[in-house]
Amino acid sequence: MITASQKPINEIIKLIAPYKKVLILGCGTCVKTCFAGGEDEVAVLASALRLSFKKKAMTIEIEEQTVERQCENEFIQEASVKMARNDATLSLACGAGVQAMVKRFAKNIVLPGVNTTFIGIQESQGIFTEECSGCGNCELGIFGGVCPVTRCAKKLLNGPCGGSQKGICEINPDTDCAWHLIIERLTTLGQLDNLKTYIPPKNWDTSLSGGPRKLVREDHII
Amino acid sequence: MNIDKKPKLTLFHCLNSFKETSSMFDGCQAKTVKMACSSMTKDIHLLKAFEAGADAVLVLVCPEKGCRYSEGSMRAKKRVDYVKTILDDIGMDSRAIEYIQHDSQKTTGLIKDIIQNNDIRA
Repeated sequence: MITASQKPINEIIKLIAPYKKVLILGCGTCVKTCFAGGEDEVAVLASALRLSFKKKAMTIEIEEQTVERQCENEFIQEASVKMARNDATLSLACGAGVQAMVKRFAKNIVLPGVNTTFIGIQESQGIFTEECSGCGNCELGIFGGVCPVTRCAKKLLNGPCGGSQKGICEINPDTDCAWHLIIERLTTLGQLDNLKTYIPPKNWDTSLSGGPRKLVREDHII
Repeated sequence: MNIDKKPKLTLFHCLNSFKETSSMFDGCQAKTVKMACSSMTKDIHLLKAFEAGADAVLVLVCPEKGCRYSEGSMRAKKRVDYVKTILDDIGMDSRAIEYIQHDSQKTTGLIKDIIQNNDIRA
């Protein structure tokens, strides 16, 4: 999933200050799971903003809605009525969701309410970790399912740097050494021979080096 | 005394932690919200209490090791702490919300102290 964290309330207040009516629009998929922009977070943010406006004698009306996914037109459509009667929409979706809204509602002001952070998983309740960089050329099959591009601080592809201690990364003591995990995993799988495979310098053409990427599925285009 | 001048207090409490009596809220307008467990304390409910006009919000929970559902008191404390950060962020006094672990000898006195202490009012 895509993880995000809500922007500080004061930053949000500055963003919406020029408007009189604002819709806070949540997204019920990724950002809901990471507690940044689901229905609950929309309600809490709306309540906090109302309290703040009351204290500052500001008159901004807040409306709330959450759609299942802001990155798909079918779900975005549900927000059209409330968007039409508000001056601006504060989207609590990831950057993709915000931009999908902008494409769908070309004349509406859509503002970001969260900072999109990474593609990751919920490791345990309340803890999210980055697992994928979306580099466009997945080699997880060789690395036993542990991605050194994302999880090794040095992005090493042909073995550990030698700086880790007791399985912990020397760059960040809160992080497991990806190569320690890769070797443990390949040992478990009986695939240590994978380490004999030379991985050439990574071709970043498939990543962001060439600007925004596009995925085309001709078989789904009519 | 004009009743409107009395501070408004909203008390969220676990059904298992204590039974309220009207006298313990002398000097304030009190609303109580009973919960099956303090783990049901949600940040939005606490904020809504302020929106509804509460000057102070109290969350009264069982002692941490006395929670029937093990983690209720801990969860309630975390949510109160989270709401405190929100109140700080929006320029309200975070002392307007407090978390109290029930102690049969002290709870009533604590509530009275809080009611009489204008500092905690939002």
